[in-house]
Amino acid sequence: MAQALQFQFGSKEFSCSVSKVDRTKLYGTVKVEAVDESGRPCELGSLAGDGKTLIPMGGTALAYLSPDGEWRDKGALRAVDLDGEEITPVSSTFKLSTQLSEKASFEEYLSHNIRLIYELSLAGENEFPSELLGELKSGVIYKFPFSYRGGLDPDSGFMLMGADEVVWMTVGKKAEIHFVGQEETRGLISEDEEGDEADGEDMDFGF
Amino acid sequence: MAEINLSDSKGRDALVAAESVATSFHVRWVDDAGAQAGSFKILRSTVPHDLGALEQKYGDDPEEIAQAFQDGDPEVDLEMFGQFLEDTSRVYIDPDSNIVHKVTLEEVVYDPEGNVKGRREKTVVEPNVATETPIKWTGKKFKKSQIYNQFIFGSKVQIIHVNGLTYDFLYDMAKELEDEECLMRVGGGAKGVDKLLFRRGGVEYFGFLEGRTDGKKYALILHLTNMELKRPEPAEKGEPKEEEAKAEPVEKVASKKTAAAKKKALAKKTTKKTSKKKSAKKNVKGGK
Repeated sequence: MAQALQFQFGSKEFSCSVSKVDRTKLYGTVKVEAVDESGRPCELGSLAGDGKTLIPMGGTALAYLSPDGEWRDKGALRAVDLDGEEITPVSSTFKLSTQLSEKASFEEYLSHNIRLIYELSLAGENEFPSELLGELKSGVIYKFPFSYRGGLDPDSGFMLMGADEVVWMTVGKKAEIHFVGQEETRGLISEDEEGDEADGEDMDFGF
Repeated sequence: MAEINLSDSKGRDALVAAESVATSFHVRWVDDAGAQAGSFKILRSTVPHDLGALEQKYGDDPEEIAQAFQDGDPEVDLEMFGQFLEDTSRVYIDPDSNIVHKVTLEEVVYDPEGNVKGRREKTVVEPNVATETPIKWTGKKFKKSQIYNQFIFGSKVQIIHVNGLTYDFLYDMAKELEDEECLMRVGGGAKGVDKLLFRRGGVEYFGFLEGRTDGKKYALILHLTNMELKRPEPAEKGEPKEEEAKAEPVEKVASKKTAAAKKKALAKKTTKKTSKKKSAKKNVKGGK
């Protein structure tokens, strides 16, 4: 059963179930298959540095070692930032009630790289506060910290209303957009490793 | 630094820099003594010890494989497992656990319901953002208040000048877009409608340009999207999957073909009649 998110808007509380929407659900997907000269399917694996050991997918693991080469259990290690300050883990947003109080401007929302989209639908006999629906319809975007399972680095969650009047939660990370002055020029060096139809109606998102 | 050939509203173009603005999270793991632990890749399993190889050796029955685990640990190589891995290479492995040196890559296209729509040979598309044809200033502008909830902007790059001349060029663009509070659609190709591709064989995106200014400073942001913000369409009921379609009775297929052929013939007849009538009319008009 899908988990429910608890929200608090003013004095009103309501809970929503989340339903993830991704490109596969909207447009389908493309999977790449490798076949040998006889048409038999091939699996992707790794060849170890000795030139003979074949490693299947999932045949490697990460181990943690101290500077003097002693084995360290990941569970016994503490996470710190680059300055050595301990990073406090956050709880899963599903275990807390999320206060809807911070509004995000269009610029702020557009400053985020959105990576997850969830349709919010009411759980049980709840209903969205009418005042909230009115605000979302008028273009208000609510912002809150979000972490699905809990962890060290929470994302930004946004509640907004889609053009189709569906209430959505989008999740993403703020991009490092910065203003540049004339003196901050960049050199042009082509490198392959860098980076990551007419009207809206003509845009074909499919394959 | 990636580069991009961009044109402005006056049709002038320039090669400028495109910088990634994705954030990265930096974390270090330390032990009780405060010493930093380093992570290393180690070997966990090899192909001869993987489930497929064990099934070939002991049969498909999980009970028998479990018994073999108890009797002799065939899934573990104590000499090898846990060794550090460096300089590994990606290889393709055939069903007989041999390295394959020549493979053909095929793309299998699935619809949203998971049905196979078709297969095609994998093609690698070349990047189009820094070619001789500049990314076109299309003039197709969308108010921020109208576009924020239509598309998912999953990625973005910041466009930055490479010299004094391109500073003016980009600042003016940013100012123009900021004053209109809009994002402008940009695209590749001669018509400016193609999706943008930054890396060979990478993900293609639709691009929207946004401008912000702060005094003499500017931020020209290229928002990239490959997804709309909308509900998936409900699955069509009764649509046959690939296997079902294949299993369709031959007679049924034949009758369908006959019906389609009849329809085509009828359409041809009608077209002939119409064109005869048209040419007759033309002749009358032309006084022939």
